Amino acid sequence: MIQSIGTYLPSWGKDLSRLPGDDEDVVTMAVSAGLNALASVDPGGVTSVHLVSRELPLLEGGNSAALLAGLGLPATLDVHEQSGGAPAALMTAASVPPGTLIVAADLDGGAGAAAVITGRSGSSLEITGRIARSLPVAARGWTGPRRDYGDPRLLRELGVKESLKELGAAKVSAVAGLRGKEAVQLCMGDPPALPTVGASAAFFALAGLVDRGELADLVAIEQASLALAAFGSGPVPVVREEPVARAPIATRPASDTDISISLAAYGRAFDAKLRLLAARCTTCGTLSYPPRLRCISCGSEEPTDTVPLSRQAEVYTVATIHVPVPGLGTPYTVVLAELDHAGVRVLVRLTGAPPGSVAIGDRGRMVFRRVAIRMGIPDYGYAFLPSPEETAA
Amino acid sequence: MRRVAMVGAGMTQFGELFGLGIKEMVPMAVSEAVASVDKGFDRTAIEAAWFGELVPTDGFASGILADSCGLLDIPVTRLENACATGNDAVRHGFLGVASGMYDVVLVAGADKVRETSTQTTFWDWMSMTRDMAWDFPLGLVAPANFALHAARYLHESPATREHMAMVAVKNHHHGVSNPKAQLRFDITIEDVLNAPMVVEPFGLYDCTPQSDGAAAVLLVAEDVVDRYTDRPVWIRGVGLGVDRVMHAHKPDMTTFPPTVKAAKKAYAMAGIGPADIDVAEVHDCFTAVELINYEDLGFCEKFEAYKLVEAGETSVGGRLPVNPSGGLKAKGHPPGATGVAQCVELFEQLRQSACNQVDGARWALAHNVGGPTAVSAITILSREKG
Repeated sequence: MIQSIGTYLPSWGKDLSRLPGDDEDVVTMAVSAGLNALASVDPGGVTSVHLVSRELPLLEGGNSAALLAGLGLPATLDVHEQSGGAPAALMTAASVPPGTLIVAADLDGGAGAAAVITGRSGSSLEITGRIARSLPVAARGWTGPRRDYGDPRLLRELGVKESLKELGAAKVSAVAGLRGKEAVQLCMGDPPALPTVGASAAFFALAGLVDRGELADLVAIEQASLALAAFGSGPVPVVREEPVARAPIATRPASDTDISISLAAYGRAFDAKLRLLAARCTTCGTLSYPPRLRCISCGSEEPTDTVPLSRQAEVYTVATIHVPVPGLGTPYTVVLAELDHAGVRVLVRLTGAPPGSVAIGDRGRMVFRRVAIRMGIPDYGYAFLPSPEETAA
Repeated sequence: MRRVAMVGAGMTQFGELFGLGIKEMVPMAVSEAVASVDKGFDRTAIEAAWFGELVPTDGFASGILADSCGLLDIPVTRLENACATGNDAVRHGFLGVASGMYDVVLVAGADKVRETSTQTTFWDWMSMTRDMAWDFPLGLVAPANFALHAARYLHESPATREHMAMVAVKNHHHGVSNPKAQLRFDITIEDVLNAPMVVEPFGLYDCTPQSDGAAAVLLVAEDVVDRYTDRPVWIRGVGLGVDRVMHAHKPDMTTFPPTVKAAKKAYAMAGIGPADIDVAEVHDCFTAVELINYEDLGFCEKFEAYKLVEAGETSVGGRLPVNPSGGLKAKGHPPGATGVAQCVELFEQLRQSACNQVDGARWALAHNVGGPTAVSAITILSREKG
């Protein structure tokens, strides 16, 4: 049973074809979508996590620890990192036990992420047919570049149509993995328009089918492979984070200068930085962020408690960098943000809004983003996402 | 403690000195300091040296000073204290003499900011002063560091970008007549306000240039001062202040607490207050920083710095001229040399031989603030032995 659905789309590009911000990747988008799915359930009930994408940031080095940290889930959970498209996401969601969070995320062909959580209530999801066929019109090996065979007609005729025929599939309610007209042709009625074509499209399709009030058939397609499923009509909460798309900001691209990293410093900071955890002094209760040995207020050096910080924040001061900076696209904005009710400020970059678009006193929240890529390693942390409606209030 | 006198001072031109390395600049500055001593100076009299260099560009810094200046038989120590390196090096030379340990010491400072490509300079220099896990990857380049202060300062005080521009116009004007200055041309308020943005709220003319340069001073004990000159300049006060390193931990970004702390110590040691200062060289790496400095140094009340520039009180000819050399803004800012070069300027001011002479100057103050705005060093100089 699908118990909860969450989605996330970056702010940039067109409504149905988003571009990731330069601080976003599959892990950061997966965190945003995953948190939206978790908002409707008890996170303590989640016992394992699947991440499905064709664009995992690291093939070696691991994405799981960052994903769990961003989601605020224990580092002891099972994480399955899976390279796959829409059929893989759909089949995973239909086959895992209750208490599993499955997040699918994409960059190419429309950036976005969507997540489902399985449970004992909600809406049923059952695979009714699947087929794996090889027609690799797009191919990408472990060494890097994608090769495009460049024959969409071949894919449609010999790939998609043949596979559907082999499964004996009739018209469906939704298609994940194809764009616009191509998808509509396979559907009856008015299928949901989906913003992605990769793994996450399967869950965007489920989100679009919720509340139809009847059993719905859908098909997830990746090249010539596909999965057919029947999605029930039970109630499923859907939390969408799909801001109105803005035209991407013209920025001076980052040079290829490598920003050096100390993995020792990275390792020490990891939990506090990716989980937004402060140290609370056991003597006077003062919060310190980043955590420190000696209390910033009373000087106690007793062991501290670890506490999560408020995500709601206000701009204390701000600076926008216009000059070229090696390894970072400019302009970009740095914000010193004061967290609500914490007595803690954090220095972060602005995200999801044009550089220079926030002022002292503006409201917003801390969101999980990629701060930099340093010597090939994604360096995750938090950024300030403005909440204009809260500022206006 | 013994009284300590400055008897010689010298510096190189500041600028893009592509033709000169550290090994040339440092001996040039030291030789000019030696040559400036009224009654002559034999460098074998130097018993110890301190060398301020923020980022060593050609390796082992103290060895390079000893080797390039012919000082192989004395202790030499390299000192680094972010942008306060220069005045902190002077403070260490002062301590060496005041303590009775040495009679004659050399204090030198130098840096070559233009030694690496502009493509990498930001990261090369940032890695010295930022937390590697937390602040470094954010792109908190040096101007951004100060811009966070400036933005909050503009928010809370009546000062505007026009007042910042007045600082740039003033210091550029002072720099025109200083042959050692890097930027020797006048600019207008409009030039400053219309310049390309570097880091908001700093346009190009709100920022110091990137500079190479070296400076040196010779300090001696009161017991031996007569051998060298009849008109010494006395070091009457030194102070160093520090603060929380990360901006997240600074409760009030409209001030630099290190300056307040360093000034308190230096004024108390000299037995004077801010009203006694006749001329000052303060750290104007960015225009708004000079405004904040006026308040932190006690030259005016909190949030009233704008009145000083509006009234021209800190221009040469005004009540308290600030940065008659052109300051970091026009003279240039090779960090290790900057504070030492401020003392070179004030040595000349107090001996009535400066290029922009402040009439009758008796008390002078040199000031640096740096690091991620977490350290300040101040030197107070006087014609009076006290």
